[in-house]
Amino acid sequence: MKRFRNLLNYALNCVTRYKLRTLVILIALGVAASAFSSVAFLSDGLVKEGALSLKYAPDLTVQGISSGRQSLISTKYINNIAMAPGVLWISQRIWGYGNIGNMLVAVVGIDLNNTITTNQTRSLLGNSVVDQAPAYPLESGQFLDAQSSSSIVIGKGVAQLLGASVGTVLSIVTESNNIKQYNVVGIFNSESSIYSADLILMNLESARQFFSVPEDKVTDLMVYVSPVDASTKASLVNVVARQIAETPNCRVLTKDVLLKAQERTYGDRSGFFSIVWYVVLIAVAIVAFNQTIVVGHESKFEVGLLKALGFSTSDIIQVRLFESLVLGTLAGAVGLTVGIIYDSVLGAPILKDFLLGWANLYPGFPVPVFISLQTVLFTFAVTIVPLLFATVVPSWLNATVDPDIAMRGARA
Amino acid sequence: MIETVNLTKIYNQGKKYQVEAVTDANITAESGAITVLVGPSGCGKTTLMSMIGQLLTPTKGEVLIDEEDITSYSDGWKAIFRRQNFGFVFQHINLLPNLNALENVLTPLLCHDVDPEKYKDYALNLLDHLGLSERAYFKVEQLSGGQQQRVAVARALVTEPRIIVADEPLTFVDEASAKTITDFFEQLKDEGKTVLISTHAANLAKMADKTYVINGGKIVDSY
Repeated sequence: MKRFRNLLNYALNCVTRYKLRTLVILIALGVAASAFSSVAFLSDGLVKEGALSLKYAPDLTVQGISSGRQSLISTKYINNIAMAPGVLWISQRIWGYGNIGNMLVAVVGIDLNNTITTNQTRSLLGNSVVDQAPAYPLESGQFLDAQSSSSIVIGKGVAQLLGASVGTVLSIVTESNNIKQYNVVGIFNSESSIYSADLILMNLESARQFFSVPEDKVTDLMVYVSPVDASTKASLVNVVARQIAETPNCRVLTKDVLLKAQERTYGDRSGFFSIVWYVVLIAVAIVAFNQTIVVGHESKFEVGLLKALGFSTSDIIQVRLFESLVLGTLAGAVGLTVGIIYDSVLGAPILKDFLLGWANLYPGFPVPVFISLQTVLFTFAVTIVPLLFATVVPSWLNATVDPDIAMRGARA
Repeated sequence: MIETVNLTKIYNQGKKYQVEAVTDANITAESGAITVLVGPSGCGKTTLMSMIGQLLTPTKGEVLIDEEDITSYSDGWKAIFRRQNFGFVFQHINLLPNLNALENVLTPLLCHDVDPEKYKDYALNLLDHLGLSERAYFKVEQLSGGQQQRVAVARALVTEPRIIVADEPLTFVDEASAKTITDFFEQLKDEGKTVLISTHAANLAKMADKTYVINGGKIVDSY
């Protein structure tokens, strides 16, 4: 045990003794770790927040298709869809984009009066289910008033940009270039801000007028499936989706598909950064290896001398192992700290623009950061493992030759 | 007692620049005696000393310590044997830079299952004996060649080895330091240790109980 402690102390001493190498490795690995962790924390946060938003999404979204593109869907399909076994209720939605000044906002109208329930729903759960609209999280005010065509609930980003609060009257330019006035009755909270920040929610008929949508059409239909247990529900959703997909000129999006699309969007963007990061990591490994070579003569001499003084090959490897672990952990910790400060305190400048893409054009919101244990451990792994290879392997090679040869070689 | 049997070292064997540094060296170094190897520069003294200390693997031959062949040991056992039995003083001093004199002296203890702190007084005592009590906390870079060599002697003795192998220990040493070191070797001999020295310094050769003359890698004379 004392021997182990001695070797550990010696390793720590080496970290402070080879100052230049320590500094170069710390900077290089720290930069790589901070680059990786800041991207990972941000993309994890975006995916997580997106998943959180889908908590309020319907099990299935049915859209119309015309010439292979999304189009308005006829409300005549509602009855057909309601016939599919397992469908709990169906709600209509009209959505699009509108302008408030120079700001583009998402305007969504939902059906507050005429949610269609199926016969089986009534027999299963009773009429009370009709009133069970999803509980959207509000920071202030109340949810939409079904009776008022001028009530809106707005996202926090919209509220902040316009300085609006509950009771404010907003003028929005409609698709037919008319200006309509709406009364803010509620403001969404910051949860799932990636979707709600730029959102203006109104009732279906207001949205119909806003976008000039014909009476028998809507943008899409939200379909909710019977709330059976999770494993059964997944297969039931797929069964219902297949049945609905048989309806002509329709396409069905499941919640899973939306989640995967979201993961692809943010995951792929962070994937691009990951490739850049891998390149940085390889460069760092080369720098670390070079540093080992630069101090190679010194290190080779030291290995030879220590062996002459009675250290075994495994003692030498242990010393270098401790040294690399200390350096790698230190670099990882520095990198993680910088990554967290960059994301959480500075708001991830540059990176945010790239990862958010089009979403960043809309009202700004604090970037969602999710610090997972997995990312933290992975960051440490990638700062420690390359260093282990870059330092332990050359030391092991030096330690396996005769001490006299190692010392003479270092002097040559 | 150390005994070498036909100890031979050929560098780059079978290659274009093959060098036969030591050929069939047979020497004996008794316990409680000073054995000296003398010879001109490049005659194979250091190679022979390194082979005896298991710092270099011989091409052929054996090194017997108390009649036990240690050349057949594995690398790990050789390390253990070195740590328990040998103290080395190198021709090129070989102290670790950026450490102070005391830290250098304590370095061999790090691979022992002991607390080096408990040997601090002993190490300081050794440095004091070698006239370095004032320089114990000086960095290596702040010491003269002679002082560094005396630190190296203290380092060789801190583990209380029974065999001291000193390769040209007076090469970079001034007259005063040389005297201190030679007196110290006499003292070690009196303590019953086996002292093996390679040198071309007359004052060291004078104190030898047994002297071997080496030339061209071969032992050419002994007295």
